[in-house]
Amino acid sequence: MTKRIVMNKDYLGEFEELVLTMVGILQEEAYGNAIVNEIKERLGRESNLSAVHVTLYRLEDKGYVKSSMGGATNTRGGRRKRIFSITNAGLAMLRTMKEARTDLWKLVPRLNYDLL
Amino acid sequence: MDYNLNHSQSKNQSNRSLDRWLRFLEWACPSALYEGIEGDLLEQYELDVLTIGERKAKRKFIWTLIKFLRPGIILRNRFSLSIINTIMIGNYFKVATRNILKRKFYSFINAFGLSIGLAFCMLIALYIQDEKEFDQFHENKSSIYRIEEKSFDTWRHDSVDPYNRSAWIQTGLAPTLKDELPEVKYATRYNSDNRGIFRYEEKVFTESLTYVDADFFKMFSFPLIKGNADRIFLDKSEIVLTPAIVAKYFGDVDPIGKTIRIDDEGEKSYTVTGVIEPAPANSSIHYDILISQENRSYYERNMNNWGNFNTPTFVQLNSDADLTTFKTNLDKVIDKYMRDKLEKWRKEATVQIPMDVKMFEYEFTALPDWHLKKEISWEKVSDPQYSIILGGIAFLIMLIACINYISLSLTTSASRRIEVGVRKVVGAQRNQLVYQFSFESLMLSLASMVIGFGLVVLFLPAFNEYTEKGIALTMSKSIQLVSVGFILSSIVGLLAGSYPSLFLSRFKPAAVLKGGFTSRLQAGFTKPLVVLQFALSAFLIISSVMMYRQMQYITTKDLGYSKEQVLVIPTQTGWNEQANRAVEQVRARTSSEPAIASVTGTSSSFNQGYSRYGYKIKGEQKSAYVYAVDPSYIPTLDIQMVAGRNFDSAIASDTMGVIVNEALVRDMKWTDPLNEYLNWREDSVGLGSPIIGVVKDYHFLSLEQKFEPMFLSMDKKNIGYLTTLMVRLKSKDLAGGLGKVKSIWMELFPDKPFDYTFLDEDVAKQYKSYQRWMSIMGLATGFAILISCLGLFGLAGINAVNRTKEIGIRKVMGADLRAIFILLNRQFILLAFVAFCLAAPLSWWFITTWYLKDFTYKVAMTWELFALSMGAGLLLALVTVSYHAIKAALINPAETLKYE
Repeated sequence: MTKRIVMNKDYLGEFEELVLTMVGILQEEAYGNAIVNEIKERLGRESNLSAVHVTLYRLEDKGYVKSSMGGATNTRGGRRKRIFSITNAGLAMLRTMKEARTDLWKLVPRLNYDLL
Repeated sequence: MDYNLNHSQSKNQSNRSLDRWLRFLEWACPSALYEGIEGDLLEQYELDVLTIGERKAKRKFIWTLIKFLRPGIILRNRFSLSIINTIMIGNYFKVATRNILKRKFYSFINAFGLSIGLAFCMLIALYIQDEKEFDQFHENKSSIYRIEEKSFDTWRHDSVDPYNRSAWIQTGLAPTLKDELPEVKYATRYNSDNRGIFRYEEKVFTESLTYVDADFFKMFSFPLIKGNADRIFLDKSEIVLTPAIVAKYFGDVDPIGKTIRIDDEGEKSYTVTGVIEPAPANSSIHYDILISQENRSYYERNMNNWGNFNTPTFVQLNSDADLTTFKTNLDKVIDKYMRDKLEKWRKEATVQIPMDVKMFEYEFTALPDWHLKKEISWEKVSDPQYSIILGGIAFLIMLIACINYISLSLTTSASRRIEVGVRKVVGAQRNQLVYQFSFESLMLSLASMVIGFGLVVLFLPAFNEYTEKGIALTMSKSIQLVSVGFILSSIVGLLAGSYPSLFLSRFKPAAVLKGGFTSRLQAGFTKPLVVLQFALSAFLIISSVMMYRQMQYITTKDLGYSKEQVLVIPTQTGWNEQANRAVEQVRARTSSEPAIASVTGTSSSFNQGYSRYGYKIKGEQKSAYVYAVDPSYIPTLDIQMVAGRNFDSAIASDTMGVIVNEALVRDMKWTDPLNEYLNWREDSVGLGSPIIGVVKDYHFLSLEQKFEPMFLSMDKKNIGYLTTLMVRLKSKDLAGGLGKVKSIWMELFPDKPFDYTFLDEDVAKQYKSYQRWMSIMGLATGFAILISCLGLFGLAGINAVNRTKEIGIRKVMGADLRAIFILLNRQFILLAFVAFCLAAPLSWWFITTWYLKDFTYKVAMTWELFALSMGAGLLLALVTVSYHAIKAALINPAETLKYE
């Protein structure tokens, strides 16, 4: 018996998923630089500021995040932050992907578990 | 862009450079996204300054910034812009057309300058492409090779490259290679430009014959219109013609199977078995009439003589042939057939030849490389240097044309400040203004591309004539040219449009419209450019004037004989006693003709081949040119004697004697030449030929060479027959004299064609390639002058625009036209002068080391030449800039100053 894993027809790349998750984690503080630093802190992984930006815009195009400009600050040369927040569609996507993973993981034969 | 970093003043400097980078990013990045990105960048930078230090932080900042120039960011720009473009494009078009039409003259000059540059570049591109495509149309081009000989030259044993290289090979080699070497699939010999008398029914003309082998038709991709390539030349009396020859003799009748007669040292009959397409202009091989090699005179004798080099030879190798093995096998062939000869040559050589030096070798060149292999003399062979020089000139001209276009556009756009102001007030965004100006400039540049292409079409026939090429504008070539021209002109158009548009769109509308606004067009880059282009023009002017003077010198130089009014007619009898009789017949028949001054016979006219004999005298290797003549040769050509006497037909022993030139006397170091003997036949018994006279040196060779030893002789048996008739006409009426000679010829030899040339034309032909280069240089000079004048015109325009107000004030204060004229023109004269100072030594170097070195007799480079060229150039510059100066000086100052 094979169980069919149902995936949304939209597909998220690994980095997209990571960034989307970070937006979810950071809540009101989710903007480009913060995400880069968060990825580094939590995963020890270096990422590109420009890559993060491009990914965020792409996610916005797909409707998984939305953005608005935050208030001005004294740092950053007075520039405002573009704050991203995850949409319901984005959350649903994350959930689907997580479930799909878990389902797949269940299909890995038990035997291998023992060997580990 | 005045963000506050909480840092001290000293860091302002570095912040400013960051600022520049940010501005760049702002330009590239969609404005909606920009603030967030900039903020992130700055935030990280501030953090980094504290953790890793300012220098590193800065580097990291820039690097991160550059990484933002990725498609994911930049492509986001498009969506917002495309909407504006489509809406406004109709309007841009309308405004552009109006503007172009409003300044017809300027627009025309501007577009024309660029089109000339483009046209010149396109022509040169066609030339270079043609050189590259030479011989490339053969299907088997990669496996066809020309065999060449490389032999040690004892005359030049001490020079850097003591070898002779030539494509002339033994007659026996081609069949031998085909029989004995496994690599060789096909082999053919190829002798072109043999003259033979072609006879079909009552039509008789001299034609150029080409002797080849049957494999010729299988190796090369010259399509046969009629006949079968596998079966042609099975019999040696077959003949293959080109359609032009067929039309000339047979008209519309099918020539296959017809019999014709050809006389090339003995008359033979041939049957037409094929019709072949003529070779295209870019082919190293050409032919009108093809006949089998076996019909060549002395064929059997040459087949067995491995010391006689008389035919070029081509082979086609098998596809799997290895070139190194082929080379070794060629060496084996030399060893087999030439060993005795080579050893004899080595032994007889006057200089000691080291044993490790090969006396003789075969080399080979692949078909695609024939055309540019200038070491081997070959019809139409070309020097790759020509392509490089022409390409360089084209590049320079194009560069200058482009920058001129930009500076000319600047001049015109400056007067549109008010328009920009109004547009801004009405609500035009800066981007829109940039697009508008770019669009206009693009339109004009595309128009110039069209004009340029038109010029190419117009000038191509003349260009073909200059360069002796047969370039045709095919569809694919036109498309290539147009697309390259399109890209080039788009780039130029955008560049030319961008500077004025960015410059003009920066004005604050209030300032412009209020009127109290002065601005200078910053065109600092145009000054060095003017110097550069004037230097280039001056260089070309001096070079081409120099070439022209050298050509003048050569054509008018006293050659030591009189070359005018002399007809040269081949006797058409072949190499035999008949030739001398023909000369006698003509002389006897014309002695009473008033139009004909004298008649003489010789073995060859000047520049129609020569004989040179080498001989050893007292162990020294000597050589001399030889002409067979008759007693009237010296008087007919007006050659001066310095000692002794002319030949006399009454003195029988004169056939033994020789008349030498002064160069030979010098070469032999004789003090009393009339009592000497020239033992040129290396006669071990006798003394040799007595010297009966010495002629003053005359230029029987081209002026590229100095006087060489030469002697004249009447010795028919050993020197040759009088195969060329020379007739001196008395009057200046050449056409009448020619008609007279022709009618006498037809009367005496009704069955022989009357072919003639004029001696002075024969002599001039030697300098054809120089003449050609002079024409090309002249053409380039014309283009360069025109374009640099346009550039100067533009610069003068900018200058006048910038100083309009100053001129107004000066006029109010009392300056007259003359003062203003001088004021405006002074700097150009200075620039032109600087340019000439740069160009003069350069052209002197170019002319002396590259051009004049080929001539032994050359005109001197004098200071007047430079002075004259400089004067002409300055005058030209002055005329060009005066338009603006006078225009500016004539404006009523009230016009320019009324806003103050």
